[in-house]
Amino acid sequence: MRTLVFIPAWNEADSIAAVIAGVGESLPEADVLVIDDGSTDATAERAREAGALVASLPFNQGLGAALQTGYLHARREGYDACAHLDADGQHPPAEVARLLAEIYADRADLVIGSRYRDPGKAESDDYKPTLSRRIGTGVFRFFLTLATRQRFTDTTSGMRAANRRVMTLFSERYSPDFAEIESLQLAVREGLRVEEVPVRMLERAGGTSFLTPLRSAFFIFKGLIVLMVGQFRPRHVEAER
Amino acid sequence: MRGLVLTATDPKVHLTSQTRIIAAVLALAFMALVLELIRRDRLQERFSVVWFIAGLGMLVGAAFPGLLTVVADAMGVRDTNVALFSIVLLLLLGLALNFSVIMSRQAAQITRLAQERALEKAHEQARSGENGSEPKRERLES
Repeated sequence: MRTLVFIPAWNEADSIAAVIAGVGESLPEADVLVIDDGSTDATAERAREAGALVASLPFNQGLGAALQTGYLHARREGYDACAHLDADGQHPPAEVARLLAEIYADRADLVIGSRYRDPGKAESDDYKPTLSRRIGTGVFRFFLTLATRQRFTDTTSGMRAANRRVMTLFSERYSPDFAEIESLQLAVREGLRVEEVPVRMLERAGGTSFLTPLRSAFFIFKGLIVLMVGQFRPRHVEAER
Repeated sequence: MRGLVLTATDPKVHLTSQTRIIAAVLALAFMALVLELIRRDRLQERFSVVWFIAGLGMLVGAAFPGLLTVVADAMGVRDTNVALFSIVLLLLLGLALNFSVIMSRQAAQITRLAQERALEKAHEQARSGENGSEPKRERLES
């Protein structure tokens, strides 16, 4: 099984090398691709020094476009499985291996790492979210569950593993604006098996969350529109070219 | 009172020759501006058609102001101003939406272009061997 682990990174020069090293330790067989989303710091250089292949987008395109770049590469290069994790060090690479195990065993097409170990609980032993995040999580959880008729606890998780069916779908259709949540809806609608696996996540090492209350409200509003529109999108899996 | 209401909703369009000349000159100037933008490569021909039609419409309106009364009658509107404004507003709304659609398509194209270029760069890196890990590079090339 050839595996690609890709890491979307935007100005993560401080943490990227450690994340790449961690992936190399936990998944020595996997190829590592860093998608540098128009970073203005030394992210790309650090990643290359750490031994990863780097795909640099010429300007910042947003997380969705960066992730799609990874899926596109995985599909074109004929990888059997792929996984991605955040570049800020919140996602322990050892946990990514557990997601990939589900793909290797063909128990699911797309596996999401959920930071909520106890499904249904808004927080876990390691993870204590802020109030606005908790509200957002609850709203998305409710509406995505309603839209897909499948239980999801961590709708915005950036730690995922996928097989070729998902690569084919996501490399063609992946919302650049609201990637995390819409991609789940899309995958379920296309009849793919999506599974959540509880994982351990760490507090972010540096920097603050981008979520202020006002932004959260806007984020939630946008998310609901995206979900609603998504329910009416035509279904079809494009044949692999 | 009754007479006041009647004059306020008089369906006839009264324009002095002066206003009609000014309107016609403005319409011609507008079309000249569109032409100039095309000439300087600031505007592509395929996006200019709609603006020429708009300019012609302005010119026709200036030449035959009575046409507006016909249009208002067809719409069942007594006030020609309402007819004019609602038509123009709807046209502009449609045009703005059309541009949003074009913008969305171009945004998608730009994203894909950026992705292609990024992956091309990654391939270059893999070939040139800047990447320290030998087996990974070989696998990627195969």
